[in-house]
Amino acid sequence: MALSREIYQALEAIVGKRNISENIGVLETYRNIPAQGSGHYGPSEHWTPLPQAVILPKTAEEIKNIFGICNKYGIEFKASTTFWSAMGYIGGDNAIQMDLRRMKSVEIDVKNMCAVVEPFAIGATVQAEAMKVGLNLNIPGVGCSASTLANFSSWIAFGPNSISMGQGSENILGMEWVLPNGEVMRTGSLGSGDGWFCGEGPGPSQRGLVRGIFGNAGSTGVCTKMAVRLHPWPGPAKLPTYGDAPSYKTDLGDNFKCYTLCYPSWEAWARSIQYFYECDVVYSGHRQFNMFGRDLKAFMLKIITNPDGQLADLETLVQDPELQKQNASMKFDYQIIIAGYTKRDMEYKEKAVDYILEQTGGWKNEMMLEKDMHDYALLYLTRMGHKNLNFVMCGAYEGTFGLSGNVWKAIQVAEEAAARKKYWEQNYTHIAATGGESAMGSLSGIGGGGATGWEFFVNFDAYDKESIRGTSKFIDGNQEIHNKYAFGPDFCRWNSDVRHMNGYNYTQEEHDSMFVKAPQPWVYAYQYKIREAVNPNNLCGTYLRTLNPDKIETK
Amino acid sequence: MLESMKSELTKIVGEQNLSNDQEILSTYATDGSLEKGMTPIAVVKPENAAQVQALIKWANESKTPLVPVSSGAPHFKGGTVPSVPESVIIDLSGMNKIININRQQRMAIIEPGVTYGQLQEALAKEGMTLSTSLRPRANKSVLTSVLEVEPRLNCLHQFNYTEPIRCTETTFGDGNQIYTGEAGNGAKDLETQWDQEKWQVHSNGPQMVDMLRMVLQAQGTMGIVTWASLKCELLPTIKKMYLVPAKKSVDLEAFTYKVIWSRFGDKLFTMNRAYLASLLGETSEKIAELKTELPNWIAAVGISGDIVLPEMKVSGQEQDIEDIAKQTGLQFLHAVNGATGDEVLEKSISPSGENYWKQTYKGGFQDIFFITTLDQTPKFIDAMYDLAIEAGYKAEDIGVYIQPQHMGTSVHLEFNLPYNPGDAKEVKKIKALYEKASKQMSKLGGYYARPYGIWAGIQLNKDAQSYEILKKMKDIFDPNNIMNTGKLTLK
Amino acid sequence: MALIDYRPMMERCSTCAGCKFIPFEKITSLRFAENCPSIGYYDFMTYSARGRFQLSQSLLDGRAVLDDTITEAIHSCTSCGYCDTGCKITRYNLEVLEHNIEQKAYAVENGKMLEGQKPVMENLAKENSMIPGTKKANRMDWAKDLNMKDLFKEKGEVAFFAGCKYSYDPKLQKVAQSAVKLLQGAGVDLGTLGAADNCCTGRAHQMGFFKEFEKGATTNLKAFQAAGVKTIITPCSDCYHAFKRQYAKLGMDIEVLHVVEYVDRLIQEGKIKLTKSVPMTVTYHDPCHLGRLGEAYVPWEGREKKIYNQIHTWEPKRPRYNGIYGIYDAPRNILKAIPGVNLVEMERIREYSWCCGAGGGCSESNPEFSAWTAGERVTEANATGADAMVTACPWCKDNFVNAVDEDGKKIEVLDIIELVQQAM
Repeated sequence: MALSREIYQALEAIVGKRNISENIGVLETYRNIPAQGSGHYGPSEHWTPLPQAVILPKTAEEIKNIFGICNKYGIEFKASTTFWSAMGYIGGDNAIQMDLRRMKSVEIDVKNMCAVVEPFAIGATVQAEAMKVGLNLNIPGVGCSASTLANFSSWIAFGPNSISMGQGSENILGMEWVLPNGEVMRTGSLGSGDGWFCGEGPGPSQRGLVRGIFGNAGSTGVCTKMAVRLHPWPGPAKLPTYGDAPSYKTDLGDNFKCYTLCYPSWEAWARSIQYFYECDVVYSGHRQFNMFGRDLKAFMLKIITNPDGQLADLETLVQDPELQKQNASMKFDYQIIIAGYTKRDMEYKEKAVDYILEQTGGWKNEMMLEKDMHDYALLYLTRMGHKNLNFVMCGAYEGTFGLSGNVWKAIQVAEEAAARKKYWEQNYTHIAATGGESAMGSLSGIGGGGATGWEFFVNFDAYDKESIRGTSKFIDGNQEIHNKYAFGPDFCRWNSDVRHMNGYNYTQEEHDSMFVKAPQPWVYAYQYKIREAVNPNNLCGTYLRTLNPDKIETK
Repeated sequence: MLESMKSELTKIVGEQNLSNDQEILSTYATDGSLEKGMTPIAVVKPENAAQVQALIKWANESKTPLVPVSSGAPHFKGGTVPSVPESVIIDLSGMNKIININRQQRMAIIEPGVTYGQLQEALAKEGMTLSTSLRPRANKSVLTSVLEVEPRLNCLHQFNYTEPIRCTETTFGDGNQIYTGEAGNGAKDLETQWDQEKWQVHSNGPQMVDMLRMVLQAQGTMGIVTWASLKCELLPTIKKMYLVPAKKSVDLEAFTYKVIWSRFGDKLFTMNRAYLASLLGETSEKIAELKTELPNWIAAVGISGDIVLPEMKVSGQEQDIEDIAKQTGLQFLHAVNGATGDEVLEKSISPSGENYWKQTYKGGFQDIFFITTLDQTPKFIDAMYDLAIEAGYKAEDIGVYIQPQHMGTSVHLEFNLPYNPGDAKEVKKIKALYEKASKQMSKLGGYYARPYGIWAGIQLNKDAQSYEILKKMKDIFDPNNIMNTGKLTLK
Repeated sequence: MALIDYRPMMERCSTCAGCKFIPFEKITSLRFAENCPSIGYYDFMTYSARGRFQLSQSLLDGRAVLDDTITEAIHSCTSCGYCDTGCKITRYNLEVLEHNIEQKAYAVENGKMLEGQKPVMENLAKENSMIPGTKKANRMDWAKDLNMKDLFKEKGEVAFFAGCKYSYDPKLQKVAQSAVKLLQGAGVDLGTLGAADNCCTGRAHQMGFFKEFEKGATTNLKAFQAAGVKTIITPCSDCYHAFKRQYAKLGMDIEVLHVVEYVDRLIQEGKIKLTKSVPMTVTYHDPCHLGRLGEAYVPWEGREKKIYNQIHTWEPKRPRYNGIYGIYDAPRNILKAIPGVNLVEMERIREYSWCCGAGGGCSESNPEFSAWTAGERVTEANATGADAMVTACPWCKDNFVNAVDEDGKKIEVLDIIELVQQAM
């Protein structure tokens, strides 16, 4: 059902003719197909509903006015920036899609190490601007092509440098946020016009209403500006690169090193990570390349670091005995970057790494010490510019068996999860046979260590419907292991409780029936009450998990 | 107190944990601040979370204001004196168990009545320590200290603004009790969670709302926390502190920014001579003496090493920080006139003796503190001195403490104004100065993130939108407005 | 291939935004991070390569239709090929540019074109030139005093092919003339196709007019063969790509060189000596069709093959065409060889250069979009502090000459041959 002329014209009056469209062809490009991107539900081949219009605002004021119209006429809305994830797309038939790509500014306060960013300022651009002035940014594991603001405010934002810089949410300072009811919330010191430097308070922090362990994926309005904490960058003002596409590399001099550290067992691997939590040595730490799978990672590395490399090379490369040795060496591995602020600092950090390896029986992978490989991995992990390699195998991937919690917990399940995946690889053809164990994730998802967030990668073909369906079945089964080990929160079928498989929102009754069974149902009931307070017409879809308090039995 | 009330409260906490003795009640009516309070009608001392929940439910039914208190007296911020009549004090100091210590995850779970001394001793046995606020009171509740986000000495480990508190068990003002943080996603039973190797590490959440932030800096207006998990540090095997003297605070600015940027050191703060003298001096006379000996301004830099090559780490950082000092025209010293680094370190991390150190000089004090950025501190300092002179307050008595926080993106700026509470003239003077200075600091851009007493009105008058949202939060979590009624201007 | 044959690719696109930005690792500022002029100007997702993949799915499924808006969206693509290069940073199995052009062909086959394209195609049909208002009869006027053989009348192996822009534009003719004299001076024996010199029709291909392209290309191919041409030298990047990639696909087996390649070679061999100082700071604009689209065609025939259950490959391996073997160093070598010239690079260069805006027929069909695209580049050039922007393509030069940056300022635009001439 198209928007009435009056409504369309009212919206057009807010943003201008050029910045709104109701053309069917245009609207079709604002539907998400979960297998063709980062769905974290499904996967499925369905398309999310068709929006009634797509609108491109430029300011918080425009968004506030858009919300005014939507509230008046009961129209659902959702905003997105890069549209990589299903989360940014609408979930109902009477809804408009907001595209925030016109809002992309970055302003930096060098001394106090923060940047004020708008939604479409992606990690790469914020980092590039920060590096000019000796600063850096926490770029989450999703990569630098994603919106810094969206990640930090509205999703998880664990990343390779979270161990030294904190999770995205830990890096939030003041925020400007248009709530669904049209109120403009300015948090912390911003609210009183004192500046962007503090995002907390006054008193209890309003920011807590809109962002918890993860954000609400656009279901409580739109964050229009955010101050993010920046961190020191002891490197050059411009990231120097060399080499041919796609194998760009960087040489950052003697005060940066990137190592692939390997261990003889899970136990040694976990113990080493424990050490790194305790010594402030790691600048960046991630188990990155294992996403290619235990059987294939070293070979894939050879392909992606060769400008002439192609996936077909896998068949010959896997027969190379030296590469096989390197691959085996990396069985229990992860990558780190150490960065020295001074020569002494670098010397200490190098020695600290050696010490930890000694204590845990670990070693540095030889192949990854070769200059080409080293410089490739260093650039990769510094900029996180290759995250679309998640999809390289077949065009689609899902992260399942999420391991959120402590690293010691993670290793308990690693082989069991790997075995299950390996079984599927060997007995069915739906998923790529990368070798079972394919967990990828940050050494720590939060600052200082302690909480990890890992995904087991499963790669499938988005064009092959059987592959999509089989993968979905595989993930269904993973949920049992997930429950058995009580992982959480919300890491197996990440978003299957916020959106139907066909892309549509859940009803309140459906959500009630899910969350009334939660171990602590009031967690969801409070979210319901918050939604009532700031989104009384319930216009932002169902990513915010809510439980009607009336459904909870009083004891 | 009505008999019916007495009977209901006795049923919940037991007769031995209920008092309406006037002498005892009067001690809760005032504190060391300039806030005026009212005498409560009863004090209850619950022994466990179930009793706390029962009390809150009772308060909702009977519409009785509750004021939670965890630390021993005296208090100094006005947050624990009842603002409305017929309040009941919930004294949680008797709930003082250290529930669990987990070395692997460096976590400790404590009840509200646990003090710093008690906790640090227990942690030391496991090779750990807790980052501390500056020389807390001996009977200061650790849980209150972290809930109120008192500034810690190591800003570089303040990844989350809320460090070191992680998860909590909280009963909100509506009587519902949940765990916050990752603990809220599991069974509502710690033993079960531990069996699943969950150690209550991740603070945000449990889901898409940060329930911890509903009670943080809240002065008990949203709910009561009955346990909190805390992220601990390793107990250093080597720990040192160096002092960097300067004539003016602004002389230390470049040095401080550079040390923070380099991520060196584990403690960093700046004080003027008056503040440092108060910290170090055991007697009023000694404080007066130190005020003449110490440099005008001192930055204190702590360096420590623990399990990974501590000597190399400490030695390297000593030299590197010294280089930074030299580059910024400063000296990096083991000692200055009047103080050694070791003394400053020892005093700053250990709890105060029986008397709170801020009371030593004149018996009373009033702090004014807020958040700003380091480069803005000079204008506030200048303004405070001007106001003090105008008010006839001795400028050399003003203590100034600058504590970088949140990995250096802002600072806690604190003015300490000692006064003699027994001298009515002085009290009047200090009250006038406190009110005027509080307003002026806000005008200049100081942000009262923790808005005690009059700061709540000042801050929220400047920020109408936040006030509206705060009211919404109150309506959700304390719909009958029984939790520390009147605080944060929420009437 | 038809549009439907690209369906697997459409569905294998992972919406990663690689088509919209320069390679993420190359980003050094916010201002010059994006690299798709189409979505840069129009903003809607539809205009990006990902949007086009999704639009195609909708068109094939019958949900979207070729109305005016969609027709304009489809044709508002300069075919610069950056999306293709950007995608191939992390993907190995999508041919993004091919799809975009196929989508245009789909529109053309269904009778959907833009008003501005009509005079271009009409002129091509009538006068064998894609510049409206130009006549076949005048095509070789620019070369009349240059003493080049007519290769149908005299034996010769090297054909100088100016292309429509250099042939007809009076400002640009001088550059072509200079290029010829330069090469002749270095001893190169040049000829032309004379009356058989016609538009390469490369732009027709970029615009999705496949029939017109094939007709023109086949005719030209036969002419080259009949004239015994062994080497084509062209100063026009559009023609360069047309010959090197598209004609080669049709079976042409003739060496194709851009003037800059030849001049670079001659400088290195000492046959061109640059002795006069040209004290100037310049920045070099990589034309799309010389740079990332300047790679040679590699014949391939094969099939899709899945390994490891689902890993998608080709057997035998397909050529990648990710832009790395384009012509980037030759022009830079030339600039470095000119005494006094100081080369400063823009942020978007080489395989991730920003488009001039003229490609895909957009300078005629979407003049505002085209001018905006050029203005963006002038902003970037001015940001380097350079005195002039140098390029090696007449379409680029022409589009830049009248463009202004975001502050309304222009920049001097030079063809690289003009600079070389100044140094001799």
